[in-house]
Amino acid sequence: MKHRTLRSAAAVAGAVTSLALLAAGCGSSGSDGSGGADSGGVTEITYWSWLTGAQELTDAFNKSQSKIKVRFEKIPSGTNGGYDKVVNAVKAGNAPDVVNLEYNALPEFASQGLIQDIGDKAGSTVTSNFPAQIQNLVTLGGKTWALPRDAAPQVFYYRKDLFAKHNLKAPKTWDDFKAAAEKVKKADKASRIAAFWADEPGLLAALAWQAGAKWYATEGDAWKVSYTDPASKKVAGYWNDLVKQDLVWNQVSYSPEWTKGMVDGKTLAVIGASWSGGALKATVPAQSGKWAAAPMPTWDGTPASGMLGGSAYALPKGGKKAEAALRFTTFATTTADSFKAQLSSGASSALPAKQDLVAAAKQFFDTEFYGGQDIYTLSSAQIATIKPGWVWGPLQISANGTLKDAMGTQDYPAALDTTQQKAVEAIKGRGLKLAG
Amino acid sequence: MVKAATAARRRRLTAAAFLAPFLVLFVVAMVAPVGYTIWMSLFREQSNGGLGFGGAERVFVGLDNYVRAVSDRGFRSGFANLAIYCVIYIPLMLGGALALALLLDTALVRARRFFQLALFLPHAVPGLIAAIIWLYLYTPGLSPIVDLLADGGLAWNFFDPDTVVISVVNMAAWQWTGYNVIIFYAALQAVPREVLEASAIDGAGSVTTALRVKVPMIRSAVVLTTLFTVVGSIQLFTEPRVVQLKAQGMDSAWSPVLYIYRAAFTEHDYGLAAAASLLLAGLAGGLSYAVTKFGNRTRKGALA
Repeated sequence: MKHRTLRSAAAVAGAVTSLALLAAGCGSSGSDGSGGADSGGVTEITYWSWLTGAQELTDAFNKSQSKIKVRFEKIPSGTNGGYDKVVNAVKAGNAPDVVNLEYNALPEFASQGLIQDIGDKAGSTVTSNFPAQIQNLVTLGGKTWALPRDAAPQVFYYRKDLFAKHNLKAPKTWDDFKAAAEKVKKADKASRIAAFWADEPGLLAALAWQAGAKWYATEGDAWKVSYTDPASKKVAGYWNDLVKQDLVWNQVSYSPEWTKGMVDGKTLAVIGASWSGGALKATVPAQSGKWAAAPMPTWDGTPASGMLGGSAYALPKGGKKAEAALRFTTFATTTADSFKAQLSSGASSALPAKQDLVAAAKQFFDTEFYGGQDIYTLSSAQIATIKPGWVWGPLQISANGTLKDAMGTQDYPAALDTTQQKAVEAIKGRGLKLAG
Repeated sequence: MVKAATAARRRRLTAAAFLAPFLVLFVVAMVAPVGYTIWMSLFREQSNGGLGFGGAERVFVGLDNYVRAVSDRGFRSGFANLAIYCVIYIPLMLGGALALALLLDTALVRARRFFQLALFLPHAVPGLIAAIIWLYLYTPGLSPIVDLLADGGLAWNFFDPDTVVISVVNMAAWQWTGYNVIIFYAALQAVPREVLEASAIDGAGSVTTALRVKVPMIRSAVVLTTLFTVVGSIQLFTEPRVVQLKAQGMDSAWSPVLYIYRAAFTEHDYGLAAAASLLLAGLAGGLSYAVTKFGNRTRKGALA
């Protein structure tokens, strides 16, 4: 009797084993993309990105040498699922060798142990090539986590023809901006000066940054969180009023309504950044020649800027080909050929973080859309006006989610209070130190 | 003796061979993941060093993740939204499906095959695709419906956070009504014709026949669809996830599954996500039990 039970158990066990083998077979065939065997001295690495020009960059690098072959895979943009994909790949042990991360995501990836500290091999590359404001964003806790791709100072884009029609000039201050907004609405009920994106916390962050806010800071080995400082409250209150008074569109970023407003010429300006120059061109190609760029309006008239977006190249944990990955990322961030390739698509106006590449990059960008205006010189001049000392938080992606939720249901200043409270809770829950 | 033993052994082997595929799949696809989820729900990831840049590790926290989930207002408000959704959706969708099935079953309807197909068609459209199409139909400026309603004096904002539940119910009802019509209609086909003849001879009109004879006779189909609908509703995800792309006031944790999704994929808090999942699974199990229990009891009552 016992014997027979064992037998049937063995039958079940046999079936389990064969299924497990089958599953294992699936697993290994799925992950060999990142494993990539070296063949004939060529190292294969994988690169994940959603950035315009990433494919062109990969091709250019592969052509420039024969030792390393980069395989590019397009992923959704960061907060639209790209980051989730990267995190899950790292946890599952089949991460790519190189990914693009926005500066605001770096601390979270670093503190969750998802990316490699590349200080040993690339620390000097960072210190010798990039301006201090940008170095700050990739050097955290005394370690170097990524190579900076672009600088993203704020830039104001506007329709020259429509501004002229309404007898407006590019606003110098936020008071000017509000006056212009009132004038536009008065002249044409179906038009607004610009859209405010309440679903994109990065926009409020850049505007607060410009006003001198610092949502995060480090004091020794402790974090300081201050979403509610006077500068942030002032900025949030200002935009809350504009939205409540219906002086700006309250639209979802890059939504069909926003695009429609742009295409129909009912949105006259964009609160953008250096990189928007190319994005705009791709959104409304038919309006070529009608757009111009200007420095962002400021609170007191003296030039100031925050950063809206901007990204870097990081090496996810688990990658075993750091050397090859760094050769590729160094090429991507420090050579003119890299930006030549990235800008060749015409839809990118990435401003190289490495300042001496700006002159080269400028030649690759067709300025016809801006009536020949040299937007590269304009935006690179804004880098010096970026307010120093801004640091992104250790759980910034979650905090952005909280802020987005809160801005959907509360007045913006109150949304900052909610975010402050939840961000502090989250940092404590993660086992980190808080100052004060 | 030996022969009998051999036969018995063979029978056992046969049974094992037939059971093995189920057991293996059950263990691999059900028991193992649930076990792993329970295990994960007991841990929380923490970062080392005051600033958190010294690497991350998982620490055992016991039941803390469950406490955090239950005491989180966001998780609880997800259940509140879900409850409102169920109260509107379940009676509306099942009632509508039953009414349509009864109509199909009467002789009144011409072109029965056409209606069967037309009613079922929405279910054949993948849920995500349907949700995206509805999203366009809800968006002012793009949607002909919104403009038409506004012209008719019925301006309606489908993305208003206070009434967005109706937009979600509409999407789900559109997809599932036809499916349930088919189940009810199939059950109605099984009602013996002589019973219907008898009720006709007794002078019952078609409405009376439908409500007093047909509906009680397909009770088990109604209980079954209610069970499926309750369990399906608890897992509400696709529709609100898509509406969320547009409705700014809608919380990212609008439904419990969205809360779990956010915890796992935005906040990377797998422990919290695992604990919340198990709480939700517990609720689904409890409700399924209640529905079947209640269904059985009323049936017994009806027979007695």
